[in-house]
Amino acid sequence: MKIDPTKIKEVAEYKHHSPLVSCAFDPTARFVLAGGRDRAILCLDVGAKSTTELSGHETWVGNIVRSGTDLILTADFAGVVIAWDCTGGKPRQRWKITAHASTIYALAASPDGKLLATGDRDSHIRVWQTSDGKRLHELQIESHPVYGLAFHPDGQRLISADRQPKKPRLKVWEFAAGKEQRSIDVPQLSAYRRVEDIEWGGIRGITISPDGSTLVACGSNEYSGPACALLFDIATGELKRKLSSTLKGFYYSAQFHPHGFLLTAGGDIGKGELRTWDLTNDESLATTATPGPCTSLDLHPSGERCVLTQMIGQRSYPDAGSLTLYEWS
Amino acid sequence: MPGRQSLTAASEISRRTWLQGTAAALGAGAIAQPLRAAAATSPRKQLLLLFLSGGASQFETWDPKPGTKTGGPFRPISTSLPGVQISELLPHTSKIMHRLTVVRSLNSNIPDHFQGHYAMQSGRVAPGYPVLGSAVAKLLERPGDVLPGYVSIRRDGPKAYTDVGDAGFLGAKYEGVRVVNNQPPENLVQPAAVKPPLAETVDRIRKSSDERFRHGRDAAPIDAYRTTFEQAQALMERREIFDLSKESAADHEQYGKHEFGQHCLLARRLLQSGVTCVKVTHFDWDAHQDNFYWHQIRCAEFDRTLVTLLDDLEQRGMLEHTLVVISGEMGRTPQINKLGGRDHWGRAWSVAMAGCGVKRGVVYGSTNDLGTEVKDKPVKLGDLFHTYLRAVGIDSSASYDIDGQTNPVADPAARPIAELLA
Repeated sequence: MKIDPTKIKEVAEYKHHSPLVSCAFDPTARFVLAGGRDRAILCLDVGAKSTTELSGHETWVGNIVRSGTDLILTADFAGVVIAWDCTGGKPRQRWKITAHASTIYALAASPDGKLLATGDRDSHIRVWQTSDGKRLHELQIESHPVYGLAFHPDGQRLISADRQPKKPRLKVWEFAAGKEQRSIDVPQLSAYRRVEDIEWGGIRGITISPDGSTLVACGSNEYSGPACALLFDIATGELKRKLSSTLKGFYYSAQFHPHGFLLTAGGDIGKGELRTWDLTNDESLATTATPGPCTSLDLHPSGERCVLTQMIGQRSYPDAGSLTLYEWS
Repeated sequence: MPGRQSLTAASEISRRTWLQGTAAALGAGAIAQPLRAAAATSPRKQLLLLFLSGGASQFETWDPKPGTKTGGPFRPISTSLPGVQISELLPHTSKIMHRLTVVRSLNSNIPDHFQGHYAMQSGRVAPGYPVLGSAVAKLLERPGDVLPGYVSIRRDGPKAYTDVGDAGFLGAKYEGVRVVNNQPPENLVQPAAVKPPLAETVDRIRKSSDERFRHGRDAAPIDAYRTTFEQAQALMERREIFDLSKESAADHEQYGKHEFGQHCLLARRLLQSGVTCVKVTHFDWDAHQDNFYWHQIRCAEFDRTLVTLLDDLEQRGMLEHTLVVISGEMGRTPQINKLGGRDHWGRAWSVAMAGCGVKRGVVYGSTNDLGTEVKDKPVKLGDLFHTYLRAVGIDSSASYDIDGQTNPVADPAARPIAELLA
């Protein structure tokens, strides 16, 4: 299917009673699960255009990814991961594990669906077997929370992003051997505020290109923004490009479309955007404005559609969320 | 250069010899006896202020609101006080809640760092009054005291609002001596070139000049000047009170190797040495972004260190005469902002106390279901100031008499909270 990255339209919007921060299509794209500042998960039946709520977590659900051919994984602030079997009429729990003693801030599924990785506040990174939730490997970075994880397409490496003050880092791991292969400092995504003497930044999301050559780190360019995404050469650690929004705030999420362009999602108070980028010339191809900051983005498995979560509310305080489906023509 | 080294070493030895006559050996053994205790006949009432600078969230500490829009992601946990829950971020503290007093109904109504820092420590909004440390140093002063009455321990940093207000009209004598990064005040070691006979001569001349100068003049500035000299001399003689290497490895470990743990260990050492009031500032609670992440980090440090500190004070018999106050300049908003932060909030938040003069196992007042307003037993910041003073045995209805001018030590419009006082 040929699509035009500049021609994107909203298909449907689903309002939610609490802010949403993470979402994913299931592998068959029948469902979208979304979570955020609530213990319940919003479940959209895409074909039926109806929503329900899934229970199982006892606190906020901050990370959601799809895995393999039939699962969606959800992780919460209490360190719990649930695998949802999406083969039936409604997602149902296949397994549930307490993966960490503290908040899970990062969750990733391997390209072949056999593994998942979790990262927590206390700097632990764990790799698990998706079939049954059995722990296989453990990695640890020094005392900084893990804010992003992504499996490399080669199946051998895992990339982590942390929140080291003033100098967040990307680390490339040979996870089976527990060996750190490379560490890349990303001071551009630090947001140190001298007035409060506090680090507000960090790497908010990472993704890897399908060919495994490029790593994208999302965040804010220092304290005053703008939202930006940095592209690194994984082989050398070299910063190749910096893509900046016109919005202040953060990019929270990025994904490579199978057709080669990059999608970024982010925003600030009362406004957000979904933007497409042509990476051959760093050109912004199209920008779709949203009423609230876009906190997560997921591509339909076929690339025909994408889904965004937003936080909606008055002034600086969102008290609701929305899940919006888009489609390219 | 060898000659200079030799001279320095000789001076240091000479100084040590001189100090032997006054302070004796000031090691860990010596500190078990209060260093200023020669004049003391009963345990001195003391105060330790743990100041959570930036403003800790009441939701993530003392007043959780689980399952509500304002409650955040963390769960409440049961405590050693039946029927009382606090945030899961304070698991160690939950086990000693029966030893604490918590006020959940404070309405300071000041959502500002500068004003809040001053007002929460002075018990007033109007400027110019002494903060708690200075006031207690003045009001609990004993004849013969030579060490500073108030020491403020903090890290080096740019947060100007943390140093708002100090002794006010009480003057320089009661200003807090600042200890930054656990380093003792500068110049505690006599310069090598100033040998004891020279120092004694200079001191004699200074005193003589002071005496001549004060004839027919206002004595207060001269007395303050003299006091500053005497405090500096006392600190020079007793500089070991800042030396944490004298504390055991076990204490270092239990208090925590992090900044707050080490600062609290020094605070205990200073209190043990006889300093009347110590303030420890714990930074980085101003979580406008990622409030929940920051409170995980901050609470983890605070929680374990607080329990270690209270246990240590109790085991050493110090808690019965030391009031520990846990406060910040404000609380944080019930609403969670778009960056996952909580902003400034003064209308309904919490403080805690333990030790001297306050009841154990009390949770006073309450907020409404969303934590947006005080529901029951409202408390003003002036009420707390009265309560702190009363807990350490000070008549909070008394007045200062400074150069013939009287000033109430606490806001006359406020009152001590009788239900909290032992």
